[in-house]
Amino acid sequence: MSKRLLNALEYPEADKLNLNDENAFRNVIVWLELNRIKKAPQSLSNQLKNTNSKDWYTIYCKYKDGLGCPVLESKIEELQWILGYAVQIETQKNKNLYFKHAVENLQNTNVPAVVAENLLDKLDFRSQEFADGIKALAKVLNTVTHPDPLVTLKAVRKVIIQRMSPDCVENPDKYVLKGTPFPFQDTDLGFDLNDPVLNQAAKILRMIYIQNLRDLQTRANELIVAVQSVTANPKTDTKLGKVGF
Amino acid sequence: MVVRQYAQELEYLERLTPHSWRIKKGFQPNMNVEGIFYVNQTLEKLMFDELRNACRPGMVGGFLPGVKQIANVAALPGIVGKSVGLPDVHSGYGFAIGNMAAFDIDNPDSIVSPGGVGFDINCGVRLLRTNLMLEDVLPVKEQLAQSLFDHIPVGVGSKGIIPMNAKDLEEALEMGMDWSLREGYIWAEDKEHCEEYGRMLNADPSKVSLRAKKRGLPQLGTLGAGNHYAEIQVVEEIFDKWAASKMGIEEQGQICVMIHSGSRGFGHQVATDALVQMEKAMKRDNIETNDRQLACARISSQEGQDYLKSMAAAANFAWVNRSSMTFLSRQAFAKKFGMAPDDLDMHVIYDVSHNIAKVEEHIVDGKPKTLLVHRKGSTRAFPPHHPLIPVDYQLTGQPVLIGGTMGTCSYVLTGTEQGMLETFGSTCHGAGRALSRAKSRRNLDYTEVLRKMEYMGISIRVASPKLVMEEAPESYKNVTDVVNTCHAAGISKKAIKLRPIAVIKG
Repeated sequence: MSKRLLNALEYPEADKLNLNDENAFRNVIVWLELNRIKKAPQSLSNQLKNTNSKDWYTIYCKYKDGLGCPVLESKIEELQWILGYAVQIETQKNKNLYFKHAVENLQNTNVPAVVAENLLDKLDFRSQEFADGIKALAKVLNTVTHPDPLVTLKAVRKVIIQRMSPDCVENPDKYVLKGTPFPFQDTDLGFDLNDPVLNQAAKILRMIYIQNLRDLQTRANELIVAVQSVTANPKTDTKLGKVGF
Repeated sequence: MVVRQYAQELEYLERLTPHSWRIKKGFQPNMNVEGIFYVNQTLEKLMFDELRNACRPGMVGGFLPGVKQIANVAALPGIVGKSVGLPDVHSGYGFAIGNMAAFDIDNPDSIVSPGGVGFDINCGVRLLRTNLMLEDVLPVKEQLAQSLFDHIPVGVGSKGIIPMNAKDLEEALEMGMDWSLREGYIWAEDKEHCEEYGRMLNADPSKVSLRAKKRGLPQLGTLGAGNHYAEIQVVEEIFDKWAASKMGIEEQGQICVMIHSGSRGFGHQVATDALVQMEKAMKRDNIETNDRQLACARISSQEGQDYLKSMAAAANFAWVNRSSMTFLSRQAFAKKFGMAPDDLDMHVIYDVSHNIAKVEEHIVDGKPKTLLVHRKGSTRAFPPHHPLIPVDYQLTGQPVLIGGTMGTCSYVLTGTEQGMLETFGSTCHGAGRALSRAKSRRNLDYTEVLRKMEYMGISIRVASPKLVMEEAPESYKNVTDVVNTCHAAGISKKAIKLRPIAVIKG
């Protein structure tokens, strides 16, 4: 197993190695640190390089503890752990390369390679550039901006999800609700906050609440209809055009 | 009971506003709270005439006058706020019809009374809209009326045409309109636009007597007799354009269908069974009332709980009943016009209950309280933004459907904040009787009544024509007076006026 990992890490002539040989072991550790892991401070790595030193084992212990290696039974097991650590570092380094070959991405090799890394992770949400970009996006979508660009982004996202899907762009009638106007400004709020601005805000909250409630009720109705298609007495189907039984 | 002269009685009544009167404590013995009733000048005269007649020497028997009944209810244990008489109030069994009373659930003495709900449990009104106009319907009016009459079973002892067995009934009693939905008779939106979403969750069919179930089974999906009807109506006037548009009523001349029905023999048997139990409970718990007809039991007692559970089952029965008739009406229209009910836009605008007791939250003396609200001949009328009304009516307030009498108009009102404060969110339910059934039969001739309908251009189909004079407009108070009083008093607001063009009756 260790040999395969060493092979993977491109250790020269890994197959011929005898890891029980103290010298070989020391050389492997030094090679791993210098070429793959590269975590030890300069002084420690210099001391480690001196494989013939009497204190080498003490230095090695210091080194592996520094990497966070747990207490293990034998040196071979410790080597195993360090190898795993090195592989992890290598994999991390070439993450994108491996993702390209991941199972889910292999299936659609015909489509352009997906960039798995989330570009947004690297964005500075507080930068002026970001704020300006969001503002411009909001303007294109006719969305009111909020001082906090992240809030604006949320609103923009909503607009895009609700109105920009391909189906929605093709059949807007299916998605754009055609309500009849209602003079909600004249309606009774049910309470008075003694401040016209606050009252106005409360009214808008009421409207949003009512819309959410409507959505919920519509979904409840859809659920009932779905259940009805299973439970209903077939004779009640109005399409039969028969009155009564 | 004290016997007083009419003039002495009047000392206990005091005008509060041009449209309301206070009934002071002492008008009847042991009143816990005051009474209030809403009237305009015309209705006021009727109320006081009734009281004067009752004060004449030798007037015994029959129901007490409405004002006295309101006061007797004010003497029941646990009542809070006021005993409220709505403009259509008239004498009934124990409670006046058009009387609303709320009892504090947290008070161990509070009672529930079947007389405060009425015998026709969850009698109510449902209004369907259509996208048809008067000119679409006029040419086929007669056939349409006949078609409705053919499909909706009417009359005393009529039987339903939607097949039901005993198991179906048990399920329907428990599930209410959810049963109709499950079976596919109605649409999901119907449930949305119904008080309580068409199902009282505390219903327990096991608390209902076998006798009630036997009476109920064949009657499910039937209109019944008495004041029940199905009407094809036309929008005559729109008072509140925005509220009307929320209900899908856009202009004058639009056609609607109104169904007024209840829980038939089933509810009657549930109430009768409960009254027997309650008389025993009253003796055991030493509950005193001014009138034997006000039989009641503590809410927390076994009898009280059993009644509430069986009443809920009867309420569910009524909703299934109105739903079945909704299905039949939709089919009748679909057949006549060769279009699917969906394409005719035959949605339920709303469905109200005007004989029911419900647990509700209200503010009493500035504190939130859980109350058992009895509405007998009184309709719930919740204001805008109330959580228990459908989302579509959050801005307008709950639609309140006021069925007129045969041949007169009907109204749609909306609930108001003022009504919530003054009458626990309650308003009138209809015209309210002015003449007793017997008196109507004596004074009116049925052929005359039918001829008058014809003259007014109303197609009429009646199962038992000889009972028609009981329901003639002359036997009732003027529904417009009643509605205008509610509007003027601010306890509800006028939205739409409807006029019948065809009537189907028991």
